[in-house]
Amino acid sequence: MITRRNMLALGAAAFVAPLAMPNILRAQGSAGRVVIVGGGFGGATAAKYIKRRNPDIDVTLIEAQERFYTCPFSNLYLGGLREFESIGHSYEELTGEYGVNLVTALAEDVDGDAHTVTLSNGETVEYDKLILSPGIDINWGALEGYDEAAAELAPHAWKAGAQTQLLRRQLEEMEDGGLFVLSAPADPFRCPPGPYERVSLVAHYFKEHKPNSKILILDSKDAFSKQGLFTAGWQSLYGDTIEWVGLSDDGRVVRVDAEALEVETEFGMVHRANVLNVVPPQKAGFIAERAGVTNEGGWVPIKASTFESRQVADIHVIGDAAIASPMPKSGFCANTQGKVAAAAIVASLAGNEAPAASWTNTCYSLIGPDYGISVVGVYEAVDDEVVQVEGSGGVSPADADADFRLREAQYAVGWYDAIANDTWGTVPA
Amino acid sequence: MTRLTRRSVLALSGAGALALMLRPATAQAGAWQRLDAARELVGDATPTDGIELELPLVSENGAAVPLSFRVERALDDADPVETVHLFAPSNPDPLIAVFHFSPLAGRADVATRVRLNESQTVIAIARTASGEVMVGEREVRVTTTGCLMVDDTYESANVFQTRLRAPGSVSTGEPGKVLSMINHPMETGLRTNSSGETLPKRIIERVEATMGGEPVLTAELNRSVSANPYLRFFVAPTQSGTLELVWTEDTGETVEASAEISVG
Repeated sequence: MITRRNMLALGAAAFVAPLAMPNILRAQGSAGRVVIVGGGFGGATAAKYIKRRNPDIDVTLIEAQERFYTCPFSNLYLGGLREFESIGHSYEELTGEYGVNLVTALAEDVDGDAHTVTLSNGETVEYDKLILSPGIDINWGALEGYDEAAAELAPHAWKAGAQTQLLRRQLEEMEDGGLFVLSAPADPFRCPPGPYERVSLVAHYFKEHKPNSKILILDSKDAFSKQGLFTAGWQSLYGDTIEWVGLSDDGRVVRVDAEALEVETEFGMVHRANVLNVVPPQKAGFIAERAGVTNEGGWVPIKASTFESRQVADIHVIGDAAIASPMPKSGFCANTQGKVAAAAIVASLAGNEAPAASWTNTCYSLIGPDYGISVVGVYEAVDDEVVQVEGSGGVSPADADADFRLREAQYAVGWYDAIANDTWGTVPA
Repeated sequence: MTRLTRRSVLALSGAGALALMLRPATAQAGAWQRLDAARELVGDATPTDGIELELPLVSENGAAVPLSFRVERALDDADPVETVHLFAPSNPDPLIAVFHFSPLAGRADVATRVRLNESQTVIAIARTASGEVMVGEREVRVTTTGCLMVDDTYESANVFQTRLRAPGSVSTGEPGKVLSMINHPMETGLRTNSSGETLPKRIIERVEATMGGEPVLTAELNRSVSANPYLRFFVAPTQSGTLELVWTEDTGETVEASAEISVG
């Protein structure tokens, strides 16, 4: 087929020829072939919204797992507030209602020239447009002593699944009076408020079941998301249970000894935990690297208005893998980026310009079951970079009363149900 | 720099796109030519690119951006690097810091953390004993994530607490890594408190490292160095002795820390 990329390469003399080409494409009975790798917030949303805008486009979703478990609300499971299955989602709406082809396999390689994706089942899938929504991979080797074997002893639980269940088991098995240590990474990483919500809900679990236990956060940063709100919430709900040590007070972990459940900080302090949760340095999911779209930092530079890679044409990268800062790496952002990429691809396949892009994000965090806080942002594309709309968004007020916090906790649940429904068609139980 | 794979080169169709990809490269941008202080420092010399400056391409927290530089030429060279100046041209006060090296430092290789007011090209200029000049530049995009709403200064409860980590032993002439930090607000004199009053300037203006009384490294810090000044540098002692660090505040107050290093 003729893509925009080829047309540019053809030059002025060949301008007439492309006009005849779309008929060949039509003869194949399709308005274009889109392949999507990854069925999380970004990929599943993109699949659905492409089909909603143009059902004639052939959409194939490649996802290794039959059910997708979300990082959002996995902390509620860790805190004993939810069953694990309540954060799992299936692809029935996409396949049944929207006619998306679902392939349960791992995407292993991408050839950007040939426009093909190679799968773990030996198949090769061709695309006109590819969307990669691979999420994160752990940057093994970036933190001394922390490898895949170490993660079986000191879980990261930063991809929802077996790791999350392992951490929950360890918390359940821990004796009262134990110390839970969480090592938090430097920016950028998936879900900036995630580590702080996690310790909040673990503190809630301790308060109910293991009241003599303590929590220590060793942080590679001096500042974190919604810091003032978290700190005040910890004080009011959990007293001195949670201690946070920032970068400038020697909070940066430089070595992990998972066998001993010990971590060593930059200036040589050794902390021993009863349960050790290492949230390690991260990078874009490996398929992005295979596709040649990552930069030296391991993340993917994109053109903001379409989320197309700046390095390889016809590959759009959305969600945590993309460099969309100041948008955070959140499920909500991935969802709205999926819609922007879907609109841009539908337009491009029809020979139209992409519509103007804008995004929103809300991050709710629970400090306790009845204590919610949030941050909101609205974003637009300026000079093909993402910028926050001047004066938009904000955080929960510092001086809100208990009723306000309770309502935000209820809104958090409403948000989760709504976005799960928007993304996977899941209906809350 | 952005890695140019065979695949991505083939996929690109125009020269404009190629230029875009090469944009974050060092030195060639020549941002130093637009800054008076930097131009003065370079003078008549023709700068080379023997200094490597590292900062993240995108920083989500302009209050503490990790920065490091490394000069390729060893400090025991016949014409060693004596000073390295760091500039943030778009900050209210562009000079970040000046580092003076002696051969005892082993190599001109330093890491610290700096404040960047906005996206800009950071500049490092090294000068040798004979006046040779090397320039390194790095473009940094500063954003603040929607999930990160913070005051721009980390307040430690322990002002003047120092931390020092040095190797207990090194081989003769082999550079050993030293980490140092002092808890200090590095108040810029440009901030206001909640009632609108300007907070007076108060910074650590000098860090001196000596080994057996001989100078290793002297760092003159300015207010674009982040709160709780952090310095990673090297020391290459020729005999066992005491590494001493002295931090000096602009009030004249000093704080010291030391560590024994044996050479074998």
